[in-house]
Amino acid sequence: MKNIQFVLQSAFEDFGRNKGRTFLTSLGIVIGVLSVVILIAFGLGLRKYIDDQFQSLGSNIIRIVPGQVLRGGSFSSTGGMSTIRFDNRDVLRLERVKSLTTVVPIVTRSISVSAGRDPEIATLYASTSDIFAALNLNTIHGEVFTKKDLDKRSKVAVIGPKIAAKLFDTEEQALGKTIKIDTQNFKVMGVLESKGGGGFGGPDLDSFIYMPHTSAQVFNPDKKFYAIIAQSSSEVSIETAKEDIKEALLKRYKEDDFSVIDQAELLGAIQSIFSMINLVLVAIAAVSLVVGGIGIMNIMYVTVTERIKEIGIRRALGARTSDILLQFLVESVVLSALGGLMGLALAYLIVFFIQKFFPAYIDLNSVVLALGVSSVIGVVFGVFPAKKAADLSPIDAIRNE
Amino acid sequence: MIKLTNVTKSYTLDDDVVFTALDDVSLTIQKGEFSSIIGPSGSGKSTLMHIIGLLDKPTSGSVFINEKDVSKLHDNDLSSLRNRFVGFVFQQFNLINKLTVLENILIPTIYTRTELSYNPIEKARYLLKRFGLDSKEKSYPNRISGGQQQRVAIARALIMNPNLILADEPTGNLDSKSGAEILKLLKELHENEKITVVIVTHDTGVAAKTERQIVIKDGKVQ
Repeated sequence: MKNIQFVLQSAFEDFGRNKGRTFLTSLGIVIGVLSVVILIAFGLGLRKYIDDQFQSLGSNIIRIVPGQVLRGGSFSSTGGMSTIRFDNRDVLRLERVKSLTTVVPIVTRSISVSAGRDPEIATLYASTSDIFAALNLNTIHGEVFTKKDLDKRSKVAVIGPKIAAKLFDTEEQALGKTIKIDTQNFKVMGVLESKGGGGFGGPDLDSFIYMPHTSAQVFNPDKKFYAIIAQSSSEVSIETAKEDIKEALLKRYKEDDFSVIDQAELLGAIQSIFSMINLVLVAIAAVSLVVGGIGIMNIMYVTVTERIKEIGIRRALGARTSDILLQFLVESVVLSALGGLMGLALAYLIVFFIQKFFPAYIDLNSVVLALGVSSVIGVVFGVFPAKKAADLSPIDAIRNE
Repeated sequence: MIKLTNVTKSYTLDDDVVFTALDDVSLTIQKGEFSSIIGPSGSGKSTLMHIIGLLDKPTSGSVFINEKDVSKLHDNDLSSLRNRFVGFVFQQFNLINKLTVLENILIPTIYTRTELSYNPIEKARYLLKRFGLDSKEKSYPNRISGGQQQRVAIARALIMNPNLILADEPTGNLDSKSGAEILKLLKELHENEKITVVIVTHDTGVAAKTERQIVIKDGKVQ
């Protein structure tokens, strides 16, 4: 123990004398740990972000879409290949399912929108007036459309705040104005509250344009629906509701023709994709840790050569080979762990700034991983130079000038 | 105390020529002796010193320390024995320049596997005081004179209370005044503390100061 304490102390004193070299030697580990920790922080942030997005979309939401979309928890490559399209008969059938409180059909497509300026691309979301309650959508200006608008096929639209701000100078100015969607004029009767989203391949919810599906028939002449969103009653489990939906639809379609997906499943599938991407990125970043380790090994070899005489003296004074091995191993571990600490500190700093616009965060696992991995690198890449030092013959070492 | 019987040390050189540094050397050094090993360079005196100092093993023959054969000991046991039994003093002082004087003296104490019966720091300070170096405790070796460095080295050699002080050309790097002081110091250790002192030298003047001269030439003790 006395030896360990002494060795640690002398390692730190050595680094204190050679601050520049110590820093440059650890720089590889600093960068490696920094990139791994930041990428993990991004991955965690992304996961949280997607979670929050799904939370904001309302609870007990079940999506019924054509084809086999999810298979074994991830997106199926053959998803959406089915040719079926839902129609009003399906909606009416599902409305009779007791475990469902709301059933809303969805027609969606990308569409160009303009209001006197250059046209913007937005997502059209045509549905019934129940869509707003089901997806927790509230207006900040104006009103949402009603069942009456649906029946009257009113040319009205409720638009997301982002597209509103793009088409007009402010969100508020959009209210009551006429916008041109594709070739048709619609009146903006409401502007929605921001839901966030967009970026990272997720839906840009704030650029959605909602209208009665009856009014959207001009864009959708066959009157078929792309999806149906249902909300299960709070009295039954989501599984029961899903079974009831399947039972109702199987009267008309085959099992492979449609998918019934709840939020959790969809969330899981999206998360698994992002986790995989993140894992690959972290693995690439980890390569720089290995490069950093090689840098440490290189300097440790130089250090051993520089200190052959010292090693000889210590051996003559009674140091065992294991004492010398320990001394150099401790130095490389301290060097590497210092790099890990610096990398972690820098990562904290960077994540602190990133947090202003993205919910990235560093969890305890990353801290343990960063310090653990950097220490292990110190051992792995320090062992060969340390072995070289320990195996020197005391006589040859002490004669060395 | 130290007995060498028929010790031979040979090295195989690069061109497969066998070089014999020590040739069938038998030698006994008694406890409390003040002796010198004298010979010209290349005579094998350094090799002899390494073998007596347990830094090297003989190719054949045996080395006994207090009647115990140590020539077949494992490296770890030899290290421990060096640590407790031998105090080295070198021509080049061999202090570690990045450590202070006090830290240099304490090096052997960090490698000992046995509990010391005294406080090593107190003992180091006592030795420094005795050698007139009490103000240099926190100095670094390259900031003090050669004579002072050699006294630090002797203090380091004494910190473990060794039975044997093995000094390899201890005055070789010193002016004659400092050299004489170092020799006086070694003689005092022998006289006052009954420590066995062996000085390895090529200098007949130095050897003349010791009580016994072991002359070595061409690997053989004369």
